Amino acid sequence: MSAHPDFHDHSLCSDHGGEHPSVWDLPQVPLGLKREWLALETRRHFLGRGVKALGAAGLATLLGRTAPNLLANVAAAGTPGPNFAPKAKRAIYLFMAGSPSQFETWDYKPGLAKMFDQDLPESVRGGQVLTGMTASQARFPIAPSRYAFAQHGKAGHWVSELFPHTAKIADELCVLKSLHTEAINHEPAILQLTTGNMFAGRPSIGAWLSYGLGAANDELPTFVVMTSKMPVRTNVQALSNRLWSSGFLSPEHAAVALRAGNDPVLYINNPAGVDGDLRQAMIAGVNDLNRQLFERVGDPEINARIAQYEMAFRMQTSVPELTDFSSEPASTWELYGPKAKEPGTYAYNCLMARRLAERGVRFTQVFLRTWDQHSNLPTNIKVMAEESDRATYALVTDLKQRGLLDDTLVIWGGEFGRTVYSQGVLRPDNYGRDHHPRCFSMWLAGGGVKPGVSYGETDDFSYNIVKDPVHIRDLHATLLHLFGLDHNKLSFKFQGLDQRLTGVLPSRVIDAILA
Amino acid sequence: MRSSLELKERRTWRWLLCLAGGSVAAAAEPTFYAARVAPVLDRHCVVCHGPEKKKAGLRLDSFDHLMAGAESGSIVKPGDVKGSELHRRITLPATDEEVMPSDGKPSLSADEIKIIALWIEAGASPTKSLADFPTAPALRPARVAPVPLAPSWREKAAEIAALEKKFGVKLVPRSQVPTDGLVLRSASAPQRCNDQVLAGLAPVARFIVDAELARTPVTDAGLKALGSWENLRAIDLTRTKVTSAGLAALSGLKHLEVINLTDTAVDDAGVTTLRALPGLKRAWLFGSKATVTQYPVATAP
Ligand code: HEC
Repeated sequence: MSAHPDFHDHSLCSDHGGEHPSVWDLPQVPLGLKREWLALETRRHFLGRGVKALGAAGLATLLGRTAPNLLANVAAAGTPGPNFAPKAKRAIYLFMAGSPSQFETWDYKPGLAKMFDQDLPESVRGGQVLTGMTASQARFPIAPSRYAFAQHGKAGHWVSELFPHTAKIADELCVLKSLHTEAINHEPAILQLTTGNMFAGRPSIGAWLSYGLGAANDELPTFVVMTSKMPVRTNVQALSNRLWSSGFLSPEHAAVALRAGNDPVLYINNPAGVDGDLRQAMIAGVNDLNRQLFERVGDPEINARIAQYEMAFRMQTSVPELTDFSSEPASTWELYGPKAKEPGTYAYNCLMARRLAERGVRFTQVFLRTWDQHSNLPTNIKVMAEESDRATYALVTDLKQRGLLDDTLVIWGGEFGRTVYSQGVLRPDNYGRDHHPRCFSMWLAGGGVKPGVSYGETDDFSYNIVKDPVHIRDLHATLLHLFGLDHNKLSFKFQGLDQRLTGVLPSRVIDAILA
Repeated sequence: MRSSLELKERRTWRWLLCLAGGSVAAAAEPTFYAARVAPVLDRHCVVCHGPEKKKAGLRLDSFDHLMAGAESGSIVKPGDVKGSELHRRITLPATDEEVMPSDGKPSLSADEIKIIALWIEAGASPTKSLADFPTAPALRPARVAPVPLAPSWREKAAEIAALEKKFGVKLVPRSQVPTDGLVLRSASAPQRCNDQVLAGLAPVARFIVDAELARTPVTDAGLKALGSWENLRAIDLTRTKVTSAGLAALSGLKHLEVINLTDTAVDDAGVTTLRALPGLKRAWLFGSKATVTQYPVATAP
């Protein structure tokens, strides 16, 4: 697929169905756009025939889509391109699934130390409905952070002692302390962050970027996802491809999941006894058959499949080069630490994320899960922080030294916050925290975000937001803005709506954190 | 941010007062209407409701006009935000037929709506001062039109497309604004983007503001070509064979802001050369032979 944005006003591109000169005849249209057009043309072709012969509606329904959507999609397809000059060329989203507690990480609440085991004032909770896991507790005793905080950098960010490495890059970080969400459970909450909606089936952020901006490198997927080895084995969050799907967008916008080990992308290696030429001939044959099938039934998904086969074939050469770390200098291993040599670890994935960024992959999402400390929080969060801290610091530092941080946005955070009160037993050295959607912290670095600032405030119990709330929609609007995309304009017609990553509820770009 | 803007505004005002003799009382501070409400209406409404076009018989270019209302009557009920047609029209969903501004023009920001609401609530006064509205948000300055970085490439689209095809590179518009320039992308096939290709791109070089050349076979000979790409803002030469000697060819690039020389053989002599570039903000030198990893040496953000 070409990366050419569509410079045309979309309202002008309609499927009028009549005779028109071929797009190849138009002198002012760049080649990339023409290619996009050709892809569309195949859909037009089907629709034209469908209307004349078969009745597009019936057939399209058979194929799992309804005709009106198909028609609408034709008008909406193509690559919209940045509305204005972007700051970020790529993003790396370090997703801390399970949700790190804000109390032990980024939202320092010194006043709580004196309130150990006191009851959370009723007025703070304000009658909020609690999750089933703590609703039946007789008491809601305050659990101060077991870990100390100190100020770091010129920015003076308060950083937990659990993150000694991240503390060194404090001046690069924009810490958001006032994120909030509606979801109270992991799956919907993670979906809301990755796709903008608690229900599965929407395109993920990376898919929207792929749709909106196209590929910068045709040899690699535009959107890559990696899940990391789990440091802890309790309270494991399910991660599935609904978190990185293309939803109603064309399937080529979905992420390719890179796996640990010898087969980073499943099934792209040649089976034993099959050489490259044979494989190429085979793919050409399959694609021929697919094209014939397309001629008969006209499902645009068939074309997407053809594109996928071709991409898979190209990845046969691009992926081995990508995953061969032998050219990395010794300084890389000193920076990322020995774990980065072990495929599948978070540290390895962070290094891979840098290599993907260097090669123009637009959106890389790395998941590190098991941050879900309902009990034994002090012990387990330490294990998690150790896993995350050094590699995260290494990634930001590495991007910075290689001149990539200015146009690479890094995001670190989980899917919601945790409660100020202890879930289960409370001892000074042991407690747990339940899910808390009303406020949580995240940080951003690079990619056109103001470094060394903090945004938003919570009350003394980090229970409610008192200043500058940031909904997930606002985060998404801001992210798209950094890529030069107006979140109101990046849309795709589906089910009768102009669907957007930010949905229909009000959302805003957080101007105050733009560099 | 917000407060510093406001501060500046007040300072300018005081300064003007000093010029005027300095003895004018504080009452001469700008009215909230003039400082906040009028600019919002000017920005969003006056094109259709002003001296030229008076849609629905409504003008919004002065306090008196605003209060005179439309053909159908007044649109502001002092003290009654919900009952004011002005407020209703700007808070409708973007898809509503009656929403203002009409014709799909960008809707008012939450801050702008809040300014109008606070003002109506406090009696829609023409005289109340800024200080009477301590909770009112400040206005963001109107987005200035982007500075053109390069001439519009539109006329040359066919030629650009032909060169893309010929050389196996991408020439991608940075945005829908054609004067934002093009990015030269080589990531799909870096090995193809060699010195000859750079020389061959000369006919469209003035449109290119960002040259992504990491891991290409580009050498000092290629830098000679780049030296005439007058509108370049950024060049990425990571892991190429360029040397300090070659950098001299870039001395005419007065707009160049960022050059990435990570993992190259460039040394301190190259840094000296770069220092002469008038617009240079940052050179990245990690993994090079220079004694610094970036120039100018980092000052914390
Ligand atoms: C693109 C042109 C356009 C712009 C910009 C515009 N309007 Fe209008 N406005 C109209 C037209 C046309 C009508 C008459 C149709 C209607 O009532 O919807 C109208 C009607 C109105 C009315 C109803 C008057 C009545 O009859 O009671 C109000 C109030 C109004 N506009 C306020 C605004 C405000 C406030 C803004 C700026 C935020 C604005 N308009 C910007 C075109 C515009």
